[in-house]
This record gives sequence, structure tokens and C-alpha cells, in this order.
Amino acid sequence: MTTVRAPGIWKRSANLRVGFLYLLPSIILFAVFLFYPMIRTIYLSFFLTDQNGNAAVNVGFENYSYLLTSPAFLNSMKATGLFVLYTVPIGIILSLFFALLANEKLKGIGFFRTMYSSTMGISVAASSVIWLFLFHPSVGVFNRILLVLDFPQIQWLLDPEWALISIAISTIWMNTGFSFLILLGGLQNIDEHLYESSRIDGAGYFYRLRRITIPMLSPTLFFIITISLINAFQTFGQIDILTKGGPSQSTNLIVYSIYREAFINYQFGTASAQAVILFVIILVVTILQFKLVERKVHYQ
Amino acid sequence: MRDSTLKKVWIYFLLTVTSFLVFFPVLYAFMISFMSGPEILQGRFFPEAFNFDNYAKVFDRLPLLKYLLNSFIVSLSVMVGQLAVCSLAAYAFVFIPFKGRDLVFFLFISTMMIPWEATMIPNFFTIQKLDWLNTYQGMSLPFFALAFGTFLLRQHFKTIPKELQEASQIAGLSRFAFFWKVILPVSKTSLVTLGAYGFLTTWNMYLWPLLITTNSSVRTVQIGLKQLQSQEISTDWGVVMAGVIVVIIPTLLLLFIGQKQLQKGLSQGALK
Amino acid sequence: MKLMLLFLTVLSLAVLAACTNSDSSTKDEENKGEDTKGEATKTEDGKVSIEFWHAMSGTGQTSLDEIVANFNESQDKYEVKAEFQGTYEESLTKLRSVGGTKDAPAITQVFEIGTKYMIDSGYIEPIQKFIDKNNFNADELEQNILNYYKVDDELYSMPFNSSTPVMIYNKDAFKEAGLDPEKAPETFAEVINSAEKLTKGEMYGFSMLTYGWFFEQLLATQGGDYVNENNGRTGDATEAAFNSDEGRLVFRTLDTMNKAKTFGNFGTNWDDIRAAFASEKVAMYLDSSAGVAGAIDTAPFEVGVAYIPHADEVKRNGVVIGGASLWMSKGIAEEEQEAAWEFMKYLTTPEVQAKWHLDTGYFAINPKAYDEENVKEKWAEFPQYKVTVDQLQDTVPGYATQGALISVFPESRQQIVTALEDMYQGKDPAEALEQAAEGTNRAIEVANKTKK
Repeated sequence: MTTVRAPGIWKRSANLRVGFLYLLPSIILFAVFLFYPMIRTIYLSFFLTDQNGNAAVNVGFENYSYLLTSPAFLNSMKATGLFVLYTVPIGIILSLFFALLANEKLKGIGFFRTMYSSTMGISVAASSVIWLFLFHPSVGVFNRILLVLDFPQIQWLLDPEWALISIAISTIWMNTGFSFLILLGGLQNIDEHLYESSRIDGAGYFYRLRRITIPMLSPTLFFIITISLINAFQTFGQIDILTKGGPSQSTNLIVYSIYREAFINYQFGTASAQAVILFVIILVVTILQFKLVERKVHYQ
Repeated sequence: MRDSTLKKVWIYFLLTVTSFLVFFPVLYAFMISFMSGPEILQGRFFPEAFNFDNYAKVFDRLPLLKYLLNSFIVSLSVMVGQLAVCSLAAYAFVFIPFKGRDLVFFLFISTMMIPWEATMIPNFFTIQKLDWLNTYQGMSLPFFALAFGTFLLRQHFKTIPKELQEASQIAGLSRFAFFWKVILPVSKTSLVTLGAYGFLTTWNMYLWPLLITTNSSVRTVQIGLKQLQSQEISTDWGVVMAGVIVVIIPTLLLLFIGQKQLQKGLSQGALK
Repeated sequence: MKLMLLFLTVLSLAVLAACTNSDSSTKDEENKGEDTKGEATKTEDGKVSIEFWHAMSGTGQTSLDEIVANFNESQDKYEVKAEFQGTYEESLTKLRSVGGTKDAPAITQVFEIGTKYMIDSGYIEPIQKFIDKNNFNADELEQNILNYYKVDDELYSMPFNSSTPVMIYNKDAFKEAGLDPEKAPETFAEVINSAEKLTKGEMYGFSMLTYGWFFEQLLATQGGDYVNENNGRTGDATEAAFNSDEGRLVFRTLDTMNKAKTFGNFGTNWDDIRAAFASEKVAMYLDSSAGVAGAIDTAPFEVGVAYIPHADEVKRNGVVIGGASLWMSKGIAEEEQEAAWEFMKYLTTPEVQAKWHLDTGYFAINPKAYDEENVKEKWAEFPQYKVTVDQLQDTVPGYATQGALISVFPESRQQIVTALEDMYQGKDPAEALEQAAEGTNRAIEVANKTKK
């Protein structure tokens, strides 16, 4: 099995062949359930589709040019961007904060860890129903509390100024459990000795956080940032249940807009074009992520 | 010494407050699940009495036990499938250098960016052609390959010292034996994490299971949750909340029990 | 390497096992598919078995399941399997994908605005054919409901769950504001006036769910068409007609109240607006007739039910039916169609309709149901129910109240919702309405372009 520097092409490609074998299950599944539909999506994005969803009229780039000049779609892009900005940084900082707290060696810490990770066990469908109640304009807890504190009532899901923020709050809540668990795992993997030697030097908590914890945690952080970004771009369930894209389209994120176009309006052409645009956006963001950030990631 | 006691009190305080806030929505749902319709509309937090009417109604209306069983079967198969498929792929990406590996890896990662809603309808046709409507494999197989899982394991495999590979080669272990006997055991943490992730995300899926099932034989609990809510007729929110509680209890229990296991895995994950 | 191959083999075997395993478990279903169209699926004891796809969840599903169980017990030739398929949209998406294949059900419930699509789809058999063949007396059914599903005097689908809008109001609040609790405001101007008097503290005077259906009603009661070609009833509609004087009047009326802060916006969710009413955040609102029972049950005050308001200048035309109807699939075995027809007939009987009406609050499509003892009892208890039926029966038949036929209705409704929301945020009413009309026009244009 050792790689010998042999001249034969067969030998030289040994790694390629073996590697391919390991990747084979993934490749087959991806090809059938992701690449094929994606190619079909790209194909359909150049057509108008008939009532049964088949390509009917080839319109070239018209779907794209329509979308890129349509105020509704531009608004969707803006809402998506804002949503990512609201949810990703706050979500990660919050989870990191929880993870740091829960990483302390204290009695009963297991209980707190379970509490923090609990939201991971609650489906989007279930949590959205709960949040629907929390945000409820007349009987919801949030407005009840505001009433008691004598603050003006907020139309959480009905005011276009607030709806996206409300969705973002519920999304951050839904995602903390998972981010927390991943970050806690990362923290636990950091070598204790590193801290001990710094303690001898008399370094403070925040100094250690900045100089040891964060750099050592960087692969985990990098991972969770990438995942959170992609998930934020693809948020769907809570929007369907909480706002259905309204009010005034303020929460009509691209994915929801795709769903609506495909499932309700049955326009696969424009739905596909939107999907392609979304794909490109996420692709660019992720490439930037990898190019700019992974360099700074500290692997052992 | 007093300094550290103060610090402890402070940390306990923070832990208590924040974890309460995180858990509050669940507590609230729990409370509502015992309330009657008019009680809910009064916007109270504690129910007048803990009666189980709503729970009785939930189980009366839906074959919930069957749904729960289906959810378990589907989630478990996806979990096992993902662990197998993703660990193989991640291993190749870290330990088998070949030309174009980064390109293939990026291709994998790019699949994460494909919006699932866009692929759903073509996939529906594929499943229909395979005659897999209303089957467990139709619900689980498309999710076996997961770029996220591959990525997660790759991140972890990368932290495994390369010397381990050289040592195992010298010891005469084959590549797969190295994967099976060395890499997988030292990667318990990530495997447990990925397993939990796979199980929970599958447990939580809604749109896909609904689309590819036309009867209740293999349907999962999330669809049941949807069935409790009416569209034009008034919804009985107490019953819906009881449904929510029933649906989240298994996963919460799993997290609760798994927490210890996960902790063990996490501490064993440290390689030094 | 060997171990690796072993591993891969086990993996693929596991996958294969999963497939074959299920193959045996779904055998009965597959037989159905491979059969020619001449043979029907049968249960073990020889009954013809058909599937019935519906979108009824919650209370509706409970009642429907009971009705289906009763039907299966009532005779020994047919067996109906009722299967929930998600929301109307999700169910229709699925039907579009399996329409015309072996996976298609014998009966599908489709919402009223899917009527045009279903007629054009080619997947269905008009109900009229069975009515004629079996000399079924369709005249005893509610004509104002049938009118919606009739095109060129041919009934395409069997009406099922049907509702109309009504105005529900808080009688106690009326008394407090010095208004007559027995006489709800009847015209737009009266509503504006009363709303002003009723607005007090946390209570808004008037509200309406932000849902296209209510706009359509307020338009229809003025005699306004939604699209051209006589609401799409005499030909394929080519453009929106709702941006007329009548449509603008509806928008202006709502805008007037919204600007005067007498209109409460409670969003697009049925349950939210009902909760607002029950918790005395709004005094009058438009609801579906199917929501009347719930409103009376949950409100801690006296509830009144009235006709929806109409314009001051014109006579009341009435309301358009909403809800859904049942469609029969084409290309299935004759026996299966027979089974489906028998089931539909069973659904129209007064007893079944009485049960359905009482359980859900939807109309009885057979008015004889209202003579059933249990319905009479309920009506005596809740006289408000009668108002909903009276309003339907007082409706003046015409293109406007027959309802619009367009294939892109779901999209158009969304446009109206956005227009209303924009207006509540301060956009000019005429401008908002015009934008919705443009969106609808584009949707119609695209749909017509791709038509074969």
C-alpha cells in the first residue's frame, strides 16, 4: 500500500482510484439527488413552464432580466441579506458565550448544557408554532410583558419594520442549540496545558480568551460560521408558519419566494431562475469565506 | 479565595438566567398544552389546572404512536447512512492525496448551497419513477450523502496528526483498516455530533415527507403536527401545543440522555 | 483494501435490502399501478377501494374521517380511504405531479380558486356526466353554491366544504358605544361611522383579515368583476378588472378607516384576528361563516353576525362562495369512478350534510339538511347561524357573484394581499391596487403564453 515512486500510470493513479472508491457513495447520491435536479433547474430557468411544469417557451435570459429589474425580487434579495446579517453574527456570539459559560467545571453543569442545547431537539415546525404564540399581538407573552412594563405594544409579525427582526430572533433561538453544541465540543478539545502555562504568566481571562481560546477554536468557528451562513440563506420553515413572506413582502426571503413561485404560482421558470441566483450568491459568499477566512484558521 | 467564590456565584447567576431564557418558550408551550380555548385567549401563563384533555385529544385524533415509530425508523436510517457515507468521503479528503481533490471537495461543498426547495420537485419525480412513494427509503436515501457531514468530519480528521498514518503504515495496516480501526475511534466526538445532527434534522423534516407520502402508512410526526392545525375553521391551540410537546419529548429525552454520552465523546475526542 | 470492499458491499446490500424489503410491503399498491385501466383496486374481501385526497386538518379532518368511516360501513361494495395531503397548495402540487398516473387518487379536494386549473388540466371527468347518467337530481342542492362550480351550465366538480364571508361583531361593545346591538352597519359609510364610535382604548372599530378572498367579496357585492370576459365565465380572461371604481372604493374605504386609526390590522392568520376579537381588541370584523361557531364559543361577550357591508350607491349583490369541491379523476377504472360517485352522492345526503355543517360550520350543500332535527336544535341555540345561510340565499345570481375563473388565482390573491399591506403602511390606495392589477396581468399573460 505504500506509495512507491513507480513510473506506470496505473500505479501513479492508485490514490486517485482509491480515493474515488471512498467518494463513490457520496458521488452517486449527489449526482442523482442534487446535481441532476440542479442541472434541470438551470435548464428550466431559461423557459416559461406550462401548467404541468414542463418547459414550454424558451425565453433565453428573460427570466433573469425580469427578476433583476423586479422590485419584488430585489426586495427579497435585500431582505435575505439583512436576515443573514441579523442572524449569523449574533447567533454565533451568543452560542459562543453560552459555550464558554457551560465549559466551566462546576457542579450541575450537565443540566445547563442540556438546557442550552435543548433547542436543537425542537423542530422548526414545533418551534414556529410556539413562537407564533409568543409573538401573538393580543395574547402573546411578549406584548403582555410590554403591557406590564407600560411600554407601547409591538406588532411583532405584522409591522414590516419588525417582522424580519422577529423572524431573526426566533431563528437565532432555533439555531443556538446546535451552534452551542459544536462550539462546546471545540472548547473541550483545547489542550488544558495551554491554559495552565498562561495562568503561570498571570494572564487575565480576556487575554486568554483572545490569545488561546479563539485561535485554538478557529477551525470550529470557521465551520460553524460557514454552516450558519448557508443555513441563514436557506431559512424556510419559520417563514412559512410565522409570516408567509408578509407583511408587505418584508420577510419574503429568496427561498420562500422560490417556494411560492414553484408551489403556489407553479411558475418553474422564474422559480428556477431565482434558485440559480441564490445558488450563485451563496457560492460567492462561501468562496470568499474560504479564501479570506480559512487562511487564518489554525490547524494543529 | 473569596475572589473565586464570587466568580462562581456570578457564573451560576449567568447560567441560570440565560438557560431559563433559552428554555422559556418550551416551558410556555408546556403550560399552554394544559389550557382550554378561552383560557388561552386570556393570555395567562399558568393553567388553572393540569388536565390532560388536550393530550387525550391528540392521541385520539391521530395515529401518533405509529407516526413516532415512523419518525424513529426514518431518522435512524438517515443517521446510520450519513455516518457511513460521510466518513468515507471525509477520509478520502484528508488522508488520500490525489489530483483534483480540492476541486472535488469544493464541488461537494457547493452542494450545500443548492436550495433544497429548488430540487424538491425534480426529486419527487425521481422517487416516483423509482416507485418509492410511500416508502422508508424514499424518505431517507436522498439524505445519506451530506456535504455538511463530510465537511464536519473533514475538519475533525484534519486535526489528527499525520504521524498516526505513517505509524500505521509501518505497522502494516491497510488503508481501510487504518480508517476503521484508528480514525473512526479517535473521531467519536464528531461522529456522535454528526449522528445527533442527522437524527434530529431528519426528525424535524416536514415538506419532503409530506410530498412523497400519499397515505399515513409511513408518515412522520411533523406531518401530524400540521394536521392538528385547521385552515379556515378555528384551530384548537391547546391541542396543537399538546401535539408540540408530544413531538419534542422524544428528541429532548434523546438530547438529555445523549448529553452524558456526548460529554464522554467530547472529552475522549481530545487526542493528546 | 479487502476490508474496504467488504464495507462497501455491506453498505450496498443494506440499501438493496431496504429496497426489496419495502417492495414486498407495498405490493398491494403496486398491483394497482400495473393493472390496466379496466380493473379496479380491490380490498381482500372484494370491495372496490379508492383514495380520496383532502386538505382538511384539525376539526375538519376529524369530522371527515367519521363521515368516511360511516360511508364504508353503510354498504359493502366500496371502500374509501381518506388521506390528508397538506394544505390546498401542497395537495395541488402533488396532484399536478401524479395527475394521470397510477398514483393519482379517484377523488381530490381542490380549493375553489383551483377550479379553472382543474378544468383545463385534462386529469378530470366532469361530474355532470354522472349526474346525467344516473339521473341524479342536482336541483335539490344549493343553487348559489353550484353556480360557482358550473361552467357553461355543466357542473364540473361536486361542491363540498363551502363558506361565505360574514361580519361578526361584539354586541356589548355596540351597547357601550351607544349603537343598536341588533342592527349592524350595512353600508361602507355606516361601517366607517360605527367604527369610529367603537374605537376606544385598546379596541379598534373594524378589521378584516388581510386575505384576497375578502376583497373579492366586497367587490362582488357591488357587482364588480374580478377579471374581464365576464369574470372569465364567457372566455379565457386576459386581464384584471378589479382595478375598477368598485375595487378602488373597497381600498379607499379600508384606507379611510386605517388613516383614522379605527381599523386594526391583525395580519394574515385566521386565528390571530379571531383571538383579537375574543380578547376585545376589535369590535367588528369580517370572518368566514365557518368561523362563526368558534367566535360565539370563545368570546366572553354577546356576539352578533351580520351580512357583509355593501356600497352605499348600489344594491347589495351578495357573496361568492369559498371553500373547496371534490373532483373525479379521469383514466381510472370504471368501477372506481362508480365508487367515487357513490361516495359523492352519499356526501350530499341531508344527514351527512347536517353532521358536516354542525361539526365544522361549513354550509350544507343540500339545504334539506337545515330541516334535520339536530340542525334545528343548534340553530335555536345559535340564531346567528341562520344569518349566514340567509345571506347566501339572498345572493343575486350574476357573473360577479358567480366568482371569477382564472388559472392564476392563487398568485393574484397574493398580489392583493401585498397591495393591502402596502396600503396599511401608507401607500396610496389607488396606486397599490393598480400594482396588484399589473402583477395579475403579467401572471395571466405568462399563463396564456404557455398554454398548449
